[in-house]
Amino acid sequence: MSLNNGGLELGWGGETLLICPEKAVFWKKRKALFVADTHFGKAATFRKSGIPVPETSSRDDCLLLEQLVSRTKAETLVFLGDFLHAREGRTEEVRLDLIAWRERLPKLELHLVRGNHDLRSGDPWPELGIKCHPEPWREYEFELRHHPVERSSKPYLAGHVHPGFALRERGGTSLRAPCFQVGEERIILPAFGDFTGLRKVVPGEGDRIFMTDGREVLEVPARGWKSTTPNWKRKV
Amino acid sequence: MRIDEAHRKATGLFRKRGWRVFKFQRDAWKAYASGESGLVHAPTGTGKTYAVWFPPLAEWMTGQRRGKSAPGLQVLWITPLRALVEDTRLSLLELCEELEVPWTVEARTGDTSGALKARQRRRLPSCLVTTPESLSLLLSYPDFKESASELKAVVVDEWHELLSTKRGTQTELCLARLRKWNPSLRTWGLSATLGNLEVAMSALLGTNAEGTLINGGMKKKFVIETVVPKSLERFPWAGHLGGKLVEEVAKRIEGAQTSLVFTNVRSQTEYWFNALLLVRPEWEGLIGIHHGSIERKSRREIEDRLRTGEIKAVVCTSSLDLGVDFSPVDQVIQIGGPKGIARLLQRAGRCGHQPGASSQVVCVPTQAMELVEFAAARDAMEDKRIEKREPLRAPLDLLAQHLVTLALGEGFREREALEEIRSAWSYRDLTDEEWGWTIDFLVKGGKSLKAYDQFKRVTRKKGLFRVDSRRVERFHRMSIGTITSDPAILVKMRSGKSLGTVEESFVSRLKPGSNFFFAGRLLVLDRVRDLTAYVRLAKSKKGTIPVWGGGKSPLSSELADTVREKMREVSNGSLKGREMKAMKETLALQAEWSSLPGTDGFLIEKTKTRQGTSWFLFPFAGRLAHEGMAALVAYRMSKLEPMTLSVSFNDYGFHLCSNTDRDVGVSEWKSLLSPDGLVDELVACMNLSEMAKRQFREIARVAGLVFQGYPGSPKSGRQLQASGGLFFDVFSKYEPDNLLLIQSRREVLERQLEVERMREALARIREQEFVLNHPARLTPFAFPLWAESIRAQLSTESWGDRVRKMSEKLEVSA
Repeated sequence: MSLNNGGLELGWGGETLLICPEKAVFWKKRKALFVADTHFGKAATFRKSGIPVPETSSRDDCLLLEQLVSRTKAETLVFLGDFLHAREGRTEEVRLDLIAWRERLPKLELHLVRGNHDLRSGDPWPELGIKCHPEPWREYEFELRHHPVERSSKPYLAGHVHPGFALRERGGTSLRAPCFQVGEERIILPAFGDFTGLRKVVPGEGDRIFMTDGREVLEVPARGWKSTTPNWKRKV
Repeated sequence: MRIDEAHRKATGLFRKRGWRVFKFQRDAWKAYASGESGLVHAPTGTGKTYAVWFPPLAEWMTGQRRGKSAPGLQVLWITPLRALVEDTRLSLLELCEELEVPWTVEARTGDTSGALKARQRRRLPSCLVTTPESLSLLLSYPDFKESASELKAVVVDEWHELLSTKRGTQTELCLARLRKWNPSLRTWGLSATLGNLEVAMSALLGTNAEGTLINGGMKKKFVIETVVPKSLERFPWAGHLGGKLVEEVAKRIEGAQTSLVFTNVRSQTEYWFNALLLVRPEWEGLIGIHHGSIERKSRREIEDRLRTGEIKAVVCTSSLDLGVDFSPVDQVIQIGGPKGIARLLQRAGRCGHQPGASSQVVCVPTQAMELVEFAAARDAMEDKRIEKREPLRAPLDLLAQHLVTLALGEGFREREALEEIRSAWSYRDLTDEEWGWTIDFLVKGGKSLKAYDQFKRVTRKKGLFRVDSRRVERFHRMSIGTITSDPAILVKMRSGKSLGTVEESFVSRLKPGSNFFFAGRLLVLDRVRDLTAYVRLAKSKKGTIPVWGGGKSPLSSELADTVREKMREVSNGSLKGREMKAMKETLALQAEWSSLPGTDGFLIEKTKTRQGTSWFLFPFAGRLAHEGMAALVAYRMSKLEPMTLSVSFNDYGFHLCSNTDRDVGVSEWKSLLSPDGLVDELVACMNLSEMAKRQFREIARVAGLVFQGYPGSPKSGRQLQASGGLFFDVFSKYEPDNLLLIQSRREVLERQLEVERMREALARIREQEFVLNHPARLTPFAFPLWAESIRAQLSTESWGDRVRKMSEKLEVSA
């Protein structure tokens, strides 16, 4: 486990991918790291509209990305859409945070597959040096998308959904956490950003669910998961 | 015309209708005429409305400025339910017409058409009937002050319903503002009887005023009768007895003209509606179903048919507790324990609606213990021992909302506003710290935050707080009035007809193709999409009944006290009333095998069952308090010796079950049940943070953190969508001393765990003598708790079988 830092190796589409607890996928062969839905500037967007959100800070998210890159020694980082949250969130503060981050990782190759939010908020600041592509981007053995699609010519990675899964004890408490939804034809990544929220997924036929608490990835049964301890039998 | 002439005119008018003017009505007229404010309390259907509606009309009739045309806004009439607004409007208008007063009476709610609203912006009617939310919205328009300059009085209808809710607090805040504009404004409340009417009145009138409390408590006759089943099992369990009484209920319905059949929860409504149709198929179309989840249009239809007497019976929940006058109703049937005295009174008042007519109530127990409850409720009603309702204590989410409303209206200055807010009863003890925090929250975005220059909600210029941003303005107006709205799924037929809404959690447990009862129909779920469940009528006959969120309210503490008194009576050898006599054998068996619970000693039973060692404790403090106490005792027990404990609870007591045996002596029980360290240990043993997170959803909505988008243009707010839970996480992580977080914890302790009742019960128990019994078998009082505890393990069917078998076995032993 120490080798993978809480991640899990997964054979998928003939390749070996590492599912990282930091809500990213690492592809060792190409030294490429994939994250989806960073939603930079979301808190700022809220504040501009008079909704007080504490500084969840793009800085924390940047720090995490930086650690991830240096640990995996990735040479390429691909954002699977929704890099910026909204036009209103393009504040100077967010820009400076991102530039500082970029300066610490000057050699990293950066790509963005545009998502729905990017279309409205515009491409990232040019000084970040992020190459932007419309979806699907067919650079690799599999496609890179933002929106999941029902049918695609090749297997693909996508985001957009912010998938989350709940482990429920009968009638009682439940543990909700972001998850990777893995099918034979596609992997849907959880949202990377801290202030993004979850949408509960309903696993389809053959889907596997990998939950993460930020430190460790855990595969859970995709359906019929019930605690063996009934609710009233509270362990105390 | 002089004022007594006007009064004479009204008296004549009443007489023409065959009514007389009651003393309390005259008292209210006089008090109003002399400029006083006050609260009129009386059961429903006694003519409260005329007590407060006539005086402002009389004053106008005798005044200088009367004329042929309608005056501007004179009276604001606030009612808790949107559904009541139209009926109220019509009945107010009726009196105007009969007195030939040319006033206009209009409604204004979320349902009011845009055209009418626009007209009202230019000129308000003489009397505006509205809800607390809509009043708050009016205050957010700067020109409202001018339109309300002639306002003479505010009447708050059904004040007891609002009193201990956030909407009641919202009303208090709005009234504080209106009074600031016009210190001689008169405020009158109408309320059902409560145990703390003085407080109810203070909350309504604010801290600066004194008022007149008028008792309209005429001797309205209540005839309360309980259906006692012929044979009574001595081992009662929930939901089992009721089914046997369907035929009896059907007969009662046949014997009356129109009946209201009240149940305590929505799922029971579906159950009884279907059960009645099963025994009387010819009633198809003659009986109706009415609860909060059903489409407003169908509810409306049922209400109309009730009014005209075209319907035989309506099975309903508290959705029909309030307001509207259904004259043809001559019988109320209460299914299941009433859980509160005020509630039973309120429901009883739904029949015999003409002043002076008597109320006929038939009580139907769904389990044997409820017989005691009915007997106790009757005693309490005779003793006029009614529940209290306490106003909330300074909820900051609502304060934040209201301050934005004020800032949008004419703006506010800090010192004056603080004084105004503190004149509202709920905020009379608002601390400087709480006030300062709320102001920072609005102006800077929070206390711990450095001032973000992008943050804009309320701005302060030369000491005046205002809203500058159009966006904030729009969002705010959208979000007022969303105090109570949970994510709900619309249930829609394929034809497009919508049937109502159910909680998302219910639908998420159904698979497409499965059947469920809803709105009195058996439906099949086709698919769920965009918050809509598409359904069609089912062909087969089996289905599930939705179990809605919200759930059962606990036995009120006043009723619980009376139940304990009944038990003491029994232990002194007297069985008063038919209900208690029917319980004779059960109680005798309880006394023989163990002792009677709820009497002077505190009873703890220890029994060996197949599941292990069971302890049964009977504090009689209501299910919410018992849930917390059970968790607390289990937690303390496991600290003495590591063990796995399961718990179950009902309104009378709770049950702990362990697979390890342990001898617990009196002194050990005393410390397990000690009230010391209650809150801290509760925090440790209940999943309090998860509960607080759920509670935070409402707070986030009220405080304006969460928006549900604009109706009609759902997309424009999309980049501002975030859930209350997400805010809870973010605040907990980055700003743990946020006062809204602390409020959510407090609300959980007070409302969901009833921590005060726990404290009282534990303090009482500490003074009691302990009675430790070791019955060989489950006793009649222990049995329902045991049945509850194995429910979670088994499917519904096998659970029923299992419990029936056990009950038969015990009957044989008895």
